[in-house]
Amino acid sequence: MNAHPYAMSFLLATAHIHGPHISWAELSPIAVLGVGALVVLLVGLASSQMVRARLVPTLTLVAIAGAIGTEIWRFSHAPQTIVAGALRIDDLALIADLVCAVAAVAAVLLAWRARAPREAGQGEFHSLMLFSLMGMAVLVSAQDLITLFLGLELLSIPLYVLCAAEYRREGSLEAGLKYLIIGSVGSATLVYGLALIYGATGQTGFGAVAHVLASQSGGGLLGDPLLLTGIALVIVGFAFKASVAPFHQWTPDVYEGAPTAITAFMATATKAAAIAVFLRFFDFTLTAEHVNWAPALAALASVTIIVGNVGALGQSSLKRLLGYSGVAQAGYMLTGLVVGTRLGVSATMFYVVAYLLMNLGAFAVIVHQERVSGSDRMAALSGLGRRSPLLAWSLTIAMLALAGIPGTIGFIGKVQLIHSLVNGGYGWLAIVLVVGAMISLGYYLRVVAAIWMTPADARGVAVAGAGPLAGAPVAAFPPIAGGSPEADLQASAGGGALGVERLTGDPELLLVAGVFGALCIVFGVIPGPVFEFVAHAGAALVGLR
Amino acid sequence: MSVVMFFLAAGAAIIGAIGVVTLRNPLYSVLALVCHLVALAALFLLLRAEFVAAAQVVVYAGAVMVLYVFVVAYVGGGEEVSAGSTLRILGPLFALALAVELFIALLGSALSGIHRYGAPYKLGFGTPEQIGRLFLTDYLFPFEVASLLLLVAAIGAVVLARRRRGLEEGALELKDLLAMPRPAYTGTIAEGVGVRRVREQLEQAHGGVTEVVPAGAPGSEEQS
Repeated sequence: MNAHPYAMSFLLATAHIHGPHISWAELSPIAVLGVGALVVLLVGLASSQMVRARLVPTLTLVAIAGAIGTEIWRFSHAPQTIVAGALRIDDLALIADLVCAVAAVAAVLLAWRARAPREAGQGEFHSLMLFSLMGMAVLVSAQDLITLFLGLELLSIPLYVLCAAEYRREGSLEAGLKYLIIGSVGSATLVYGLALIYGATGQTGFGAVAHVLASQSGGGLLGDPLLLTGIALVIVGFAFKASVAPFHQWTPDVYEGAPTAITAFMATATKAAAIAVFLRFFDFTLTAEHVNWAPALAALASVTIIVGNVGALGQSSLKRLLGYSGVAQAGYMLTGLVVGTRLGVSATMFYVVAYLLMNLGAFAVIVHQERVSGSDRMAALSGLGRRSPLLAWSLTIAMLALAGIPGTIGFIGKVQLIHSLVNGGYGWLAIVLVVGAMISLGYYLRVVAAIWMTPADARGVAVAGAGPLAGAPVAAFPPIAGGSPEADLQASAGGGALGVERLTGDPELLLVAGVFGALCIVFGVIPGPVFEFVAHAGAALVGLR
Repeated sequence: MSVVMFFLAAGAAIIGAIGVVTLRNPLYSVLALVCHLVALAALFLLLRAEFVAAAQVVVYAGAVMVLYVFVVAYVGGGEEVSAGSTLRILGPLFALALAVELFIALLGSALSGIHRYGAPYKLGFGTPEQIGRLFLTDYLFPFEVASLLLLVAAIGAVVLARRRRGLEEGALELKDLLAMPRPAYTGTIAEGVGVRRVREQLEQAHGGVTEVVPAGAPGSEEQS
């Protein structure tokens, strides 16, 4: 007697369902961020202005500190795939998580007195930032195509909103809209590619895909047009996120328009997450296809290095300059991925750490500069060396490190990349990298020159500050804007176009600039601890030489 | 029968998708999108995914599209911004190249499956029970992340849509509201797609003054 279909489905529905085992200890770096985001969102509803303005950022910092704590706790444990194969929080993921979390701490500090959180709402602003951070943590530890895509969206969607946080400023709204549209194109391309890879292999788990590819090596699947097209589309999708040329067009526009704290967060954390997922997806899941994707990525990396460095030469806005420099640096990081060796993975992650340290100091100085002079024009930097030596030194060190001057972490990072490239048989790519670094001196040194060589007279600052509006009828506005309310008040009380120069700067900016500037030098001289740290990343990807 | 249905629905989906991007009236675009989504629902039905098909019709073709229609009715069409001539030629070229590539990929490997019936149908496949079970077992984590994603979307919509009061006076200055034109030749998207050049040509044709300021100089103003 056959069972009636409806009876069968009824049985299916009532049968006891065992949920997957959830290892909360291993999941903790992600869970802490999710809980933190929800708590921050709720506290942000408090009616007291004081609570909103002080408690919410503090709680955000506590949540990120908790995440950092759990990440250090889980470091170099033997990881398993958790929650039914969705995630695997291994050392590569934890290093990327730590980099993103440090970037988020710096971004919260940079936004402490900024206008963006006041305008978007403290609770909303900070919880969106935490959600984005959580998206990065999901993305870098994803073990499944579906988790990968959802992590990417959880990373991106809060950032689209955060870019437009100062929505009454046209540049910010423009940045948000551009990032939304171009990011969506990138996501759509990526999901198409993932669908084709699923179609070719019949699997969604990274391990399962890698297994299918490895078991058929030499067989039909490796040269399968469906799989190759899928890989190409995935490369394009990731390239949008990591701002790899020729998919970088959005980068300078969005970096310039977004609130600077968000720009700092995007530039460092998003790039770290994108590069880490690049590493995992290509050097673990698709490692059997290395012969096919490596030439494509090598070409992309060299195009990116050249386009980014040449594009940065003509910039007058510091944020745009760092945007183009970020494009070039993404190219450097891709080179370590191309070789597909453990050495390459370690070198790439070393460079990701270095990139974090080099950029955050620079962005802190830009925030200071915008508060003092109202613009991020390079001309407004003149005399910074005399006005605020600490900030001037941080920016100088950051620029020299980005250019790769010996004695800084940027030099060690580039040496590592070149070492891995030569070792992996990509000597020509190493030459491209060196040529790119040579070109980059042309604009990094221009910034250094702007800081130190022009004498610090107040008139130059005022002219530079009011410069962009010189033709407009509102030139009488004081050059200080977006700083703390007291400073604005003082400035308007002072009345003159000179405004009141603050000789030092806000303490949290000095802290961020000082710490990251110092770390660039410290780890440039004693890189040993960072080497040991990133060596775990190479070891985390099994199956690499 | 199912083959006929497949080609009907697939054709309708493609025609609808083409209509979305080619029709100039936004309202017609939305209607073409409805046509596309309903055709997709028919394709899901052919794959025996009844629940997904129903959700597609109810949620997308129904609720979301009604919202679109409302927005279009409220906001209206607005003026079209014509892209530069470079983009108008290059865009279709790149799209064509991508389409050729995809066709090679799909025809090269998927044609072998066209005479077969694909994966066998298992009893209970595609029912709400089965989908719910997968959400709570194999795809628990993606399911939870998706719910957070919806929360983030809601927060984002509130942040962008509300008009907040209570900002301190002076928090926003006039100069922040003004659009600051970027200096020429710094690699903006507008330059990349040729909008700037078209605008400059128009201005020259109308006798407007277009001053091209060197990139290093602050204070470049554009006539617009």
